[in-house]
Amino acid sequence: MTKANLSIEFAGLSLKNPVFTASGTCGYIDELAAFMDVSALGGFTTKSITQHPRKGNPTPRIVETDAGMLNAIGLANIGLDRFLREKVPLIAQYDTAVFVNVAGRTIDEYVAVTERLSQEKAIAGFELNISCPNVKKGGITFGTDPQQVETITQAVKKVAGAKPLMVKLTPTVTDITVTARAAIAGGADALSMVNTFTAMVIDIESRRPILANRTGGLSGPAIKPIAVYLVQRVYREVAKPAGIPILGMGGIRNASDAAEFLIAGATAVAVGTASFIRPDCCQSVLDGLCDYCRRHKIANIRDLTGTLQD
Amino acid sequence: MKHRSAQSSRIFTAVVRQHRIIRPRYRLLTLELDAKGSAAFASVMPGQFVEIDAGPLSLPQDKDIPAELLDSAKRNIMLRRPFSFSAVRHKGNKFEIDISYHVVGPSTVRLTTLVPGDSLSLIGPLGNGFRIDQSRPITVLIAGGMGSPPIQHLAAYLKSQYPQMRVTAFIGARSINEIPFDIGTDSEGGIIFPAFSSVGVPHAMTTDDGSLGVKGFVTQLVEKLLVPGPFQTDKAILYACGPEPMLATVSRLAAKIEVPCQLSMERMMACGIGLCQSCAIKTRDPQAEDGWSYRLCCKDGPVLDGKDVIFD
Repeated sequence: MTKANLSIEFAGLSLKNPVFTASGTCGYIDELAAFMDVSALGGFTTKSITQHPRKGNPTPRIVETDAGMLNAIGLANIGLDRFLREKVPLIAQYDTAVFVNVAGRTIDEYVAVTERLSQEKAIAGFELNISCPNVKKGGITFGTDPQQVETITQAVKKVAGAKPLMVKLTPTVTDITVTARAAIAGGADALSMVNTFTAMVIDIESRRPILANRTGGLSGPAIKPIAVYLVQRVYREVAKPAGIPILGMGGIRNASDAAEFLIAGATAVAVGTASFIRPDCCQSVLDGLCDYCRRHKIANIRDLTGTLQD
Repeated sequence: MKHRSAQSSRIFTAVVRQHRIIRPRYRLLTLELDAKGSAAFASVMPGQFVEIDAGPLSLPQDKDIPAELLDSAKRNIMLRRPFSFSAVRHKGNKFEIDISYHVVGPSTVRLTTLVPGDSLSLIGPLGNGFRIDQSRPITVLIAGGMGSPPIQHLAAYLKSQYPQMRVTAFIGARSINEIPFDIGTDSEGGIIFPAFSSVGVPHAMTTDDGSLGVKGFVTQLVEKLLVPGPFQTDKAILYACGPEPMLATVSRLAAKIEVPCQLSMERMMACGIGLCQSCAIKTRDPQAEDGWSYRLCCKDGPVLDGKDVIFD
């Protein structure tokens, strides 16, 4: 059998394969490019960008747990101006669909950042970060309220121009299908899910939380089965009927993990925390998916999406 | 033409050549780097570090785990851990590096199981090491506890690259049980550290409890000896690595006697390569509105100018 066709259609874009990096774990592109061929990726999601630079939270900002880690970076980033000046020209050098993760304290800030970037040819699309658990204003406060999800998605979609808008959902809600529906009602072209789970680790000697921010977002293999479940649910109940693709993520470390997400209903998958341990992890996920398709005689990887059997 | 690069050359494999117990809780691991690693180490500087993946290693038996770590160190691990190196040697066309480590948690407990022939995944060398200022040939090295390995490497590096420099080292630890390298005696029976004497670096030692060398903090001894006048401050520089309170004292002391200092810092890191943004260090920044900004220990450091670091 010849090599499987890995290309996919994603939110109106033709991508060479379904493997992305996950925002916040891959820098702006150059950091990861030192370790792998970024142009081999189907997509790349940048670290969050806000209108003005943000210092982020005090340290400790991370703590490892049994099968994952908590982070409370607090959207530390270089801000829109420096991003445009220093990173966009770098991004233009790579042959992959770059989605800029946009964050803010107010709807106006999300709108301002997206509007300014919507004219940049090097940028393929946007990921709306309404699910960061580590900032006091913005982030998850938008993402847990369905009305706000719809309002902000609508406002940002209006200024995104022809570029697709992906909305990143938080799993820290009672019913994720409600927020997924709200995002689609607001005009989302794709959903990315899931962001981290709010969590805490306590130092039993000092009886204080280890993170300076007290809580952080749990990522890594610990959350994978929950993420797979949520993707499967949103796919069946919301995304499939609406014809909206899902970028699935949460604890993906290898091709088997990635295949689970695709079977559950994701059109594409993103590698996050695993890049910290193996900066070239995306490449091995990609290679492994090719092997998987060969073993299962899958000619087009897009045919794998949502094939969960009853 | 779009950019295509696959420079994974800094992710490589190393084979254990030697593994030695230095003190009950301190080990010395000698690793031989593969061809990729050896190429990456061609221009290594003291103060840089590697990220080691101890995830694939199994736990030792309970009897081989320090009693106080039986609980905490037995959890699963996922992330790599950063380690500096105490020596880098040419071995034919390959490099060999020495890593001193303190058995403190789930990763280092796993490292204790390594035997010659075992292999490990490394990323490195990472970060910025010490920047040698040739206009300041009077170099004072200050090390505290597990901050000693990169200072040992720096001592050997300075003596081999800049033989005209006057290098003196001050090494402190909590007690004799926390000295991370061999202890020897000279021809007159005096206590010496072969790691420094073998490269011709005079050194003094302190322990908090007086179990070896002068009793007290290493910074107290340094402060007593570095008196402007006899100590030519315009020709001198301090290089330090150790616990943060020690580095804060070195920084204050350096400012007082008007001598530049470089400090090798430490932070919790998830990746070591600038992806996770977790290893932030508060630094002075005249460009910033409020006068400070965070720099990353992994990419901007770990060695920073003492005058730039803000100690809270």
